[in-house]
Amino acid sequence: MALTALICDDSLLARNQLKKSLPSVFDADIITASNGVEALSILRAREVGLVFLDLTMPELDGVGVLEAIKADAMDCLVIVVSADIQPEMQKRVMELGALAFVQKPATADKLADVMHKYGLI
Amino acid sequence: MTELHFTDVQRDCLQELVNVAMGQASDKLARYLGTFVHLQVPAIALVEAALLSQHFASRYQQQSATLVSLGFFGDQGLRGETIMLYQLANVGVIAQLLGYSDDAVSEAEMLTDISSVLTTTFLSGLAEQLENSFSYAAPRILSSRDQYFADKLAYTAEQWQLALQVDIRYQLTDYSFNCDMILLIPGEAVLRLRQTLDNILADF
Repeated sequence: MALTALICDDSLLARNQLKKSLPSVFDADIITASNGVEALSILRAREVGLVFLDLTMPELDGVGVLEAIKADAMDCLVIVVSADIQPEMQKRVMELGALAFVQKPATADKLADVMHKYGLI
Repeated sequence: MTELHFTDVQRDCLQELVNVAMGQASDKLARYLGTFVHLQVPAIALVEAALLSQHFASRYQQQSATLVSLGFFGDQGLRGETIMLYQLANVGVIAQLLGYSDDAVSEAEMLTDISSVLTTTFLSGLAEQLENSFSYAAPRILSSRDQYFADKLAYTAEQWQLALQVDIRYQLTDYSFNCDMILLIPGEAVLRLRQTLDNILADF
């Protein structure tokens, strides 16, 4: 069974950009959420192997999602894809258990690099 | 008159480009100030330039504000002017943080420096995503601690057609620092911008 990957971003452009930039060899069912609350309800309802997570979002931001994933010990990998590129923010999300940090805009090269590095493709 | 309307999809696209550019500007500002900057989603609004001064006069009430302007010029008619509006409640704290002395000349210098860091980083980030490149005029102060700043804003806005208002709320670690950024662009640049947004959208 193919892996399910969740793209969580409040911007339609960012979701489409990311979806289109995923490596073609990455075999996964892609689903999307447009804020943190939506993402958590999906994560609680079904098995998701990998999350591409934006940070600055309305309702519940990416840091909030990471905290909930950690608190509930959910079994999914998280790649943060964000425009907030301050070193302190990167450090914070890594401490909260993110696998990697990708600076927006998420290009095919950047995604392929990081996914290859962590054996996802 | 150029039709100023943007579709929802074009607006979402522009909002995301602004977010990415603003992330880069915040990072630069954080390094400049030596502190962490809490980044909120900047709210954008597209309005007719002529309605701008009224909006800010009522938002800032009777408070005085300092306005700093920076012109930018890109390829294919994409050009305009950014205006940073500063309410001055926290200026003293920032001056202290950055080691500027506590007088009017230093305050003007500091706000010019901050404007320069914020707007050039922001605009460069935006230009890169629009596959354009901008050159910049030197920043200049339009109005300093002026209660009647709205008149000067109206005078400046008169030369342009569309205003992209970007509300910036920077929450620094220990205090908040609010400023507003306005991008003023002429009608032909509006058409150019919309065309570029459509090209970006067509790719995805």
